[in-house]
Amino acid sequence: MDSTVNPTLAHRDDAEIDEVDLTPVRTYWQMVRRRFLQNRLAVVAFILLAVMIALAIIVPTVTGDAYQKTSLLNPNGSPTTTAPLGYDDIGENTFLRLMKALQTSLFIGFAAVSIIFVVGVSIGSIAGYFGGWIDNVLMRLVDVVLSLPSLFLIIMLVAFFGTGNAWVIIFAIGLTSWTTAARLVRAAFLSLREADFVQAARALGAGRFRIITRHMLPSALAPILVACTLGVADSVVTEAALSFLGFGISPPEASLGNMMTNAINFMVRQPMLIIYPGVTLILIVLAASFLGDGLRDALDPRQRVEG
Amino acid sequence: MVTYVIRRVIQAIPILIGIAIISFLIVHLAPGSPIDKFRTPRVSTEQLNNLIRMYGLDKSIPEQFLSWISSFFQVWKTDNQGHFIAWGFSFTDGRPILEKVVERIPATMLLMGTALATTVVIAIPVGVLAAVKQYSIADKVITVLATVGYALPSYWLGIMLLYIFAIDLNLFPLYGMHTLGGSDDLPDLAWHMVLPVASLTIQSVAGWSRYMRASMLEVMRQDYIRTARAKGLPPSRVITKHALRNALIPIVTLLGLTIPTLLSGAVITEAIFGWPGLGNMGYQAVIDRDYPLVLAFVMIGGAMVILGNLIADILYAVVDPRIKY
Repeated sequence: MDSTVNPTLAHRDDAEIDEVDLTPVRTYWQMVRRRFLQNRLAVVAFILLAVMIALAIIVPTVTGDAYQKTSLLNPNGSPTTTAPLGYDDIGENTFLRLMKALQTSLFIGFAAVSIIFVVGVSIGSIAGYFGGWIDNVLMRLVDVVLSLPSLFLIIMLVAFFGTGNAWVIIFAIGLTSWTTAARLVRAAFLSLREADFVQAARALGAGRFRIITRHMLPSALAPILVACTLGVADSVVTEAALSFLGFGISPPEASLGNMMTNAINFMVRQPMLIIYPGVTLILIVLAASFLGDGLRDALDPRQRVEG
Repeated sequence: MVTYVIRRVIQAIPILIGIAIISFLIVHLAPGSPIDKFRTPRVSTEQLNNLIRMYGLDKSIPEQFLSWISSFFQVWKTDNQGHFIAWGFSFTDGRPILEKVVERIPATMLLMGTALATTVVIAIPVGVLAAVKQYSIADKVITVLATVGYALPSYWLGIMLLYIFAIDLNLFPLYGMHTLGGSDDLPDLAWHMVLPVASLTIQSVAGWSRYMRASMLEVMRQDYIRTARAKGLPPSRVITKHALRNALIPIVTLLGLTIPTLLSGAVITEAIFGWPGLGNMGYQAVIDRDYPLVLAFVMIGGAMVILGNLIADILYAVVDPRIKY
């Protein structure tokens, strides 16, 4: 880390002016990458998530609708080369279902986080940039949404507007969970608003939109990135909870939640049916939380908490 | 302090109104009409129109909202039979919402209160141990367990507990608060509480012990701890008298934030274990589309969050004399 600071700058005087500092200058993102790669747990989490995303994209794309194919001659069949995890109670290929479920759940997670990101960043940056009454109104809105019992509200929205509809679930999660992102962006913007580089951009005649998106947002992104990583895991868990309560994605579509819910009935004879999706879900949550920790430490070394 | 509390309570009013508007709009936008369940071939259009007039559904949305919200806050109002009418009547059994809610509170408070107590009792020593013996094997084991406990989704944990302890080992009951037809005595109640309390506790201990550990580590770095050590105090005294008391300050805030959940309950845990509390009732209300009950539940939940923030801030000032309002 110390190599990134140019030590000669601190006490440069005329006598030393000829000495050229040869330490390579690192950009912020190069430093971030270096710090991130030093955190082994976070790298492992990143690789794990990347593998899961790759599997979730590739396997269902290649095999198509095979995950819905039932075979009543082969219920609870044992593993074969084409079905490494065996078959479920109606002879569906558990491995293919698990991959499709991973795809559905991750899609819901990332789509919900996209909404959180867009809504949170827009509201946070407008509130933080303009301040005054606009800030006041928007922050009261944040207070209201923050005070809503969010899980219950999500259950309510999904139950009323479309049980089992992935988009309803995505919007229900997204529209109730953007407040943290908005607060983080606003806080960053309040401190950035009077920063020299923002003043400079203003003096050069940059428009408000350009100042917000090009100059201020990149400096405010670090905490949002962490919040979004954790948001993906939260959304995946919420989808599964909805399935459990009977409002989630319904079969023959596959999601981690409905696989687990369906497997409850066969828990005694076929415990692995609930273990596979459960462990997958836990791995997503663990990977996201370690990745989030790693990102936080890498993006902002000052925030580092000891231990 | 008193003026601060009054100011906060006044600030809470617009937030509550905002919650009311949002939940009212959601219920209004929901497809279908509250009178749909009366639409059978034997009910005439005229009767349906009478129902629409009776429920005030022919008025404009702002008018409906105002009549609902104004009656909502007149909690004390009763009809001539002594029933509380302020929150309306349930669509499913026609009973006053307020009475339905109130009779569910004891079960929820009992469950959540016990879970909170066991959480505090377990998490604080565990967090302190992890902090005092930082990087030891005990600390690492605690860290791993806490991370896994945090990652376990609540329903998965609940189902697993049910599967292992209620079905496989047949040690605890599957469902409810009392044995049907059995005695309502304390051992029976405690026996029914073990699994739901365990399920809630395992999850919150994970988070709480991490907070406690971080808070303790923060305090242990302070100069006054070094001073206490330097003047020769025994380590146990330094930890309990000097470090722990200060490390508990952020935990007290957490406690304040948690207290309201004593009332609003845990929807998922109560649903899994068939606990007859408020959370379970809210869940049932959504399934039955019992709109007045759903609205009441959202309002209670919102009020509890606001109350929790207020309690947290007040407790913070109470335990930390450096903070003044």
